[in-house]
Amino acid sequence: MTGQSTVLAAEVPFPPKVEDFYLPSILPWGEHNSYWFTKITALLWISIAIIIIFFLVSYRKPALVPTKKQWIAESIYGFVRNNIAVDMLGKRGINFAPYLTTLFVFILLMNFWAIVPFAQISPNSHIAFPAVLAVISYVMFIYIGMKHHGGLKYFKHALIPPAPWFILPLLIPIEFFSTFLVRPFSLAVRLFANMFAGHMLLLVFTLGGFAMLNANVWFAPFSVVSWVMTIALTFLEFLVICLQAYVFTVLTASYVQGALADEH
Amino acid sequence: MTGQEPPRNPSGDDQPPPDTGMGMTAVAYLISGMLVWGAIGWLVDHWLGTKGIFAGIGAVVGIGGGVYLIVRRLGA
Repeated sequence: MTGQSTVLAAEVPFPPKVEDFYLPSILPWGEHNSYWFTKITALLWISIAIIIIFFLVSYRKPALVPTKKQWIAESIYGFVRNNIAVDMLGKRGINFAPYLTTLFVFILLMNFWAIVPFAQISPNSHIAFPAVLAVISYVMFIYIGMKHHGGLKYFKHALIPPAPWFILPLLIPIEFFSTFLVRPFSLAVRLFANMFAGHMLLLVFTLGGFAMLNANVWFAPFSVVSWVMTIALTFLEFLVICLQAYVFTVLTASYVQGALADEH
Repeated sequence: MTGQEPPRNPSGDDQPPPDTGMGMTAVAYLISGMLVWGAIGWLVDHWLGTKGIFAGIGAVVGIGGGVYLIVRRLGA
C-alpha cells in the first residue's frame, strides 16, 4: 500500500500552483494552444442545462398539492422572492424575483461543482465568470436608477449626499468611488476569491498528504490527519458555497434598492 | 410559481424593508474615503516633493468624510 502511495505521490506536484486552475483542453484533445472546450466549459453548460431542465420539468404540470420536485422548485423560488426580493425591495421586489432567483441558483450550482467528486473545481474560481455576473448587476442597477430617477438625475441623486455645500467636494469623490468603482469590483472579487481559495485549500491538504508520505513513510499518520482535514474543509466549503451565492444575490438586490430609493 | 401571491407581511410588520446591504455599504464608505483622499494626498506629495505628509492627512480626512457619509446616508 505504501509502495503504491509512493508511486502515486511521486506524480503529485506540491505545492499547488495557479496553473492547477488551467485544466487541459478537451476539445481539441490535449492541445496546448487552443482551449475551446475544457472541464470549466463543460461544467458551465452542464449547470445551465440542469437549471433549465429542472425548472421546466418540475413546473410542467403544476398541481395544487405539489409533487416533490415542484415543491423543491417552489421553495427555492419562494425563498429568494420572499426573503431577498420582497424583503429588500418591497412590492417591486416581485419584478426582480425571477432574475434574482436565476442568479442565486446559477451561482449556487456553479459553486457547488467545487465539492462534487470528479468535478472538484468551480468555474467561479476563474475571475471571468464572477466578473461577467458583476457587470450584469452593475449595468442593471445603474439602468434601473436612471429609469427610476430620470436619466442623469440618478447620478445627481447617487453622488450628492444630503450635506452642506462646503463639505460636498470632500464627499462626492468618496461617493463616486464607493458606488461606481468599488461595487462591481468587490462583487466579482469576493465570489472569485472565495472559490479560488476554497479550491486551493482542498488542493493543499489533499496533495500535502501525498507529499508528506512521499518525503518519509513515517509521516503516514500526519498524511491521514491531512486527509481528515480535507473532509472537514469540504464541509466548510459547502458553507462558503451557499453563503457566497446568497451574499451575491443579496448585494445585487441591495444595489437595486439603493437605485430605487427616494430621498428621505 | 410567479402566479402565486407573496405573503402580505414578509418580515412580519409594516416597517420599511430591512437594509441587509448596510454593513457592506458602511465598510465601502470607510475604505473608499481613506483610499480616495489618501491617493489624492499621495499625488499632492508627488507634486510638491514631500514625503507622505499629505497622503497621511488625506487618509485621515477621507476617513472623516466616510464617517460623515455613513451618518448622513445610513443614520436614522
